[in-house]
Amino acid sequence: MHPPISLIWFFLTAGVSIGLFNFTYFMEFLTLFGKNTAMPRQAVIISLVISLVLIGLGAIGASFHLGHKMRAWKAIKRFHTSWLSREAVFSGAYGFVLFLYGLAYYFNANLFIQHSLGILTFVLGWLSAFSTAMIYASNKFVLEWYTSLTVLYYLNMYLMLGSSAFLSLTYFYRPEFVPTYLFLTFLFVSLGLAFRIAFNIRQFIIPRPTINEALNLPHNRPIRVLDTGTTTNNYCTEEFYYKKGKDLLGSVLPVAYILTFIVPLFLILYAWITGNYNYNFFKIAFASLVLGSFLERWCFFVEGNHVQNLFYGLYPEEGYRLRKGYMERKKTVIRL
Amino acid sequence: MAQFALVIDLNTCVGCHACATNCKEWNTQAAFGPLSDFDPYGREPQGVWYNRIMTYEMGEFPNTQVFHLPKSCLHCQDSPCVPVCPTGASYKREQDGIVLVNYDDCIGCKLCSWSCPYGCREFDEADKVMKKCTLCIDRIYDESLPPEHRKPACVLTCPAKARFFGDIEDPNSEVYNVIKERNGFVLFSDAGTNPGNHYLPRTETKVHVDEHLLKHDNPLFLEVLRRHHVGG
Ligand code: SF4
Ligand code: SF4
Ligand code: SF4
Repeated sequence: MHPPISLIWFFLTAGVSIGLFNFTYFMEFLTLFGKNTAMPRQAVIISLVISLVLIGLGAIGASFHLGHKMRAWKAIKRFHTSWLSREAVFSGAYGFVLFLYGLAYYFNANLFIQHSLGILTFVLGWLSAFSTAMIYASNKFVLEWYTSLTVLYYLNMYLMLGSSAFLSLTYFYRPEFVPTYLFLTFLFVSLGLAFRIAFNIRQFIIPRPTINEALNLPHNRPIRVLDTGTTTNNYCTEEFYYKKGKDLLGSVLPVAYILTFIVPLFLILYAWITGNYNYNFFKIAFASLVLGSFLERWCFFVEGNHVQNLFYGLYPEEGYRLRKGYMERKKTVIRL
Repeated sequence: MAQFALVIDLNTCVGCHACATNCKEWNTQAAFGPLSDFDPYGREPQGVWYNRIMTYEMGEFPNTQVFHLPKSCLHCQDSPCVPVCPTGASYKREQDGIVLVNYDDCIGCKLCSWSCPYGCREFDEADKVMKKCTLCIDRIYDESLPPEHRKPACVLTCPAKARFFGDIEDPNSEVYNVIKERNGFVLFSDAGTNPGNHYLPRTETKVHVDEHLLKHDNPLFLEVLRRHHVGG
């Protein structure tokens, strides 16, 4: 599949926003049970402003994916059937209620109002993340995505981004929580690595349809594509088969693995074991996570193979091997 | 419930692309037009087509058959492209089962095209909306046309008469009967989409390869040798 940069951008901004809010509010929430976990006022306000700005930037970025931005509001109409519609509703509501929560916190509104809004924001944020993940996980024609792993992995990435961002706040405002957030970041990044490996291994073992199934012809007849009717690519071949991406995947995927998982894990583990809480470590770990996640999402799209590619002979053959086994498209050169 | 659809005879389709061309001709100028072209006289001419013709070769040399597969929106009865549309721009008509896109509501999110297993939707970069075969709904209900012309443009133009059009749920229709009599089949029957458009299978032909065909100077013989060599 062709990776839409606007959607990767939305993933990163919404991910940091929802993830960061998740931990910021969680610390507030624990105070309800008499725990001394409240972050200083300044830290909470900084965190809320970052979350709000990011979700705003995310929405603006995501609108670049649309052909008609001014009609984006119409996306709320099919809430009962469309995950994209649900994503639009929940992410919009998350941003709005987050803003209200920010106001309530800033003006010290009564605790009941504050926490009601806080819990609502928390829930809406996760519903928005879940809906986004379901857009991919519910598409049964891209087998790489059509699994609950896609959802688990997606939500975990939000936690990963959120806990590593929150680490910086604890470093400056509540250093005694640094070990806790080191542990949480380590946990979520390790889980992310496990999910990613599982996601990649799964690609080898999923049973794939063949061109015979697509054409509904006997299984024992070999079928070859002779001609796809046009001399150049078209919307379908460009949207569902990104040749340049497929060629680059072998180089980008290892870099994505290193930046998203290996570098942060190493830095966090080092800080944790040595007790050397150098802020530069946390900064680099977070930057590496964000950059790595960008590449990781790019790979996620490129790794997706849409079954419509079968008609063009551009689907991985049975016995799929990573980066190999793609049928080359016949090159037609037109000389004028 | 009525389900209008096309039935295409794979025995008679000769892959002439006349249906695709006439489709583009009609739909570029009619109610659902235009179908934008990009760089039409350049090296990489691209454009929106509702109907594309693929050519496949089946079987093993020398017993192979070539067939052509015209493919446009199949107007699925359980169309997966409809529920995913966030705006309701994609919809399936109750009265005749035709799946359409309302261009005024489409936000161009492309999600419907991701959900079509057949690659039958195309995004028009000029209009920034999703487009697809309308079964020439603007022809088939046009009472100003003579009744025999109230058919999709592709059906009217097919020189091989390989295309049929009608209500596949109506036992009195030509399409219903031709599907029944000649074992009409659908693409990707496992996908759960229950397509309206059907194809009539090719009748088997046995090719008997005479020995003299495999003579030394016959290029086919060299091909056999090469394959044998590669295989062994
Ligand atoms: S016009 Fe008829 S024969 Fe020609 S490609 Fe179309 S269906 Fe086949
Ligand atoms: S062929 Fe594709 S676009 Fe047409 S109704 Fe079926 S799923 Fe939708
Ligand atoms: S591209 Fe248009 S028709 Fe397709 S899902 Fe999006 S809004 Fe609906």
